[in-house]
Amino acid sequence: MRYVSRANLKLLLDDLSGQYRVFVPVRKKDSRFYSRYEGSMDDVVIGEVRAFEPLKAFFFPAVEKVAEGFSGGSFPHEKDRPVCIVGVKACDLKGFKVLDHVFGQEDEYPDPSYIKRRAENLIISSDCTMAIETCFCLALGLKPFPQEDFDINLSPVGDGFFVFVGSDKGKQIVERHAGLFEEPGEELSSAQEKSRLRVIREVERNIEEHGVPSQDRYQGIIEKGYESAVWKDEAESCVECGACNTICPTCHCFLLYEQMKGDEEFARFRMWDSCLIKDFARVGGGDNPREHLWMRLRNRFEKKFDYFRKVADIYACTGCGRCISACPAKIDIRDVLRKLVEENE
Amino acid sequence: MKRMSSSPISDNPYRSIRAEVQRVIPETPTIKTIRMKLTEDLPFRPGQFIEMSIPGSGEAPFTPSSPCYQKEHMDVTVMKVGKVTELIHRLEPGDTVGLRGPFGRGYPLDDFAGKEVLVVGGGVGFAPLRTLMYSLFEMRDRLARLIYRGGCRCPEELLYTDEIKGWGDRPDLDMVLCVDACTLEDRWDGPVGVVTTVLDGIDFNPRNAVGVACGPPIMMKFTTYKFQELGIPDENIYLSMEKNMSCGIGKCGHCRIGSYYCCKDGPVFTYAEIKDFPGIWD
Repeated sequence: MRYVSRANLKLLLDDLSGQYRVFVPVRKKDSRFYSRYEGSMDDVVIGEVRAFEPLKAFFFPAVEKVAEGFSGGSFPHEKDRPVCIVGVKACDLKGFKVLDHVFGQEDEYPDPSYIKRRAENLIISSDCTMAIETCFCLALGLKPFPQEDFDINLSPVGDGFFVFVGSDKGKQIVERHAGLFEEPGEELSSAQEKSRLRVIREVERNIEEHGVPSQDRYQGIIEKGYESAVWKDEAESCVECGACNTICPTCHCFLLYEQMKGDEEFARFRMWDSCLIKDFARVGGGDNPREHLWMRLRNRFEKKFDYFRKVADIYACTGCGRCISACPAKIDIRDVLRKLVEENE
Repeated sequence: MKRMSSSPISDNPYRSIRAEVQRVIPETPTIKTIRMKLTEDLPFRPGQFIEMSIPGSGEAPFTPSSPCYQKEHMDVTVMKVGKVTELIHRLEPGDTVGLRGPFGRGYPLDDFAGKEVLVVGGGVGFAPLRTLMYSLFEMRDRLARLIYRGGCRCPEELLYTDEIKGWGDRPDLDMVLCVDACTLEDRWDGPVGVVTTVLDGIDFNPRNAVGVACGPPIMMKFTTYKFQELGIPDENIYLSMEKNMSCGIGKCGHCRIGSYYCCKDGPVFTYAEIKDFPGIWD
């Protein structure tokens, strides 16, 4: 383990900017947004808590051209430099477990664009140094600090960071910039441990306050709760906006559409889609297997807590709480899980 | 699950190949067959589907209706039901369309060898079965028996009328066609009733039989129940499911049925595979 000061981290990011488009979390009011790093560390918050936007946007953009005309051509069409994302939190990294299953190399049809970005992009993650009211990662078996799926992890201590290397790519970067890293002082170790424990306590308090059940109690809650009153009750206030889908680090559904480019050529695009929208599963002839909004709300939970459990042995929720913050109807995934678990036990 | 799919075209599963409309054949007042000449190979097996695109407007999934061995052209038979199919119905010879695929699992024909094969079609569901039937004709000497039962709403809704007359003369095929209803002017001398009514009284061994159904959801549901009543095991009942297939490769999420995606795990499923999932007929 090594240590990097905030001043030296700036030098590292300056250097990485040659090879990568570097994005850093910047605080605006109470939220943190990924912004392009332009050489200034002002307002950059490496620790704190997850950014407003989900990490998936860097690997599976909200809108992307997937084909151009009939002529073939490469996919992805993007020729830009890869992206380095700094300050990524553990909850977002769990999103890779789901997205890799859908788009990754192991799938029968690997997605050319996703795979390229997964291979080329650089992740410099960091510990959370605080929790917000919606955080409940511990219930999903995560810790508020990254343990895998990063290239380099920064653990804030004092005026700098402990540096953990999580991949060969990360190792090479640290080795190439050896002069920027130091041996950490003894006294910092206990500060880091204290900080991690403090954030765990904060998340535990959230979980306790909201009675959020832990994931070892999710087995079978969808199948047994399929006809539960929960769905209709919760869907009553849903306005079908799809914010929960777009903001979710694991939601991967998309809509394919095409547009003409001039009179002759056309291009095909994919855009994030939402399973809450009425037409999502409707077939050409008009039949809709999920005619009612409560069926679509149920489907969202079925996909996350039943489908992915069965096909990939994972719950497609990271406890990031974004859907709770984003929902204009104040539908709270923690309450839904609690009710389902209570009904099931 | 047994996988029979091949890789989709090229290294980009989202790219369509160019095809030119050769003929537009009106089949019924609401159904047309579009015959296309392809500019690249697109080999497929019975039951697999393609995404057909009206360039710049949109795509929709169809199972080809021409024989798999027919390399000169590909047919799709399309009922006008929505936005894309409306545009398809406006196509004229010489127009350009896009084709993407093939996607999904087709019928496991090798498993049909030695079996009595009972194929049941309803309405426009006859279109993909036409492809299947030509493959079954090709392997007819390996089948114990081949039975076709087809139904549609009324005589004028019957597809491939001229072609099917020839099937009636085949000694190796036991075929009965029926209509739900007809008028005196219709000149229909076959049975009248829903298709399940012509499944009674077939002398066959259900334990060695395969039942195949393709048609509207309500027809598939009752045909499945009929197959069960006749004694065909659930794992030998093959259903071609219709969901909102879009990407074709199990990623866009629109066509999920329980633990499967209709596009890549189907569209042909055995009843045993899907019967426990809620809402399969919806």
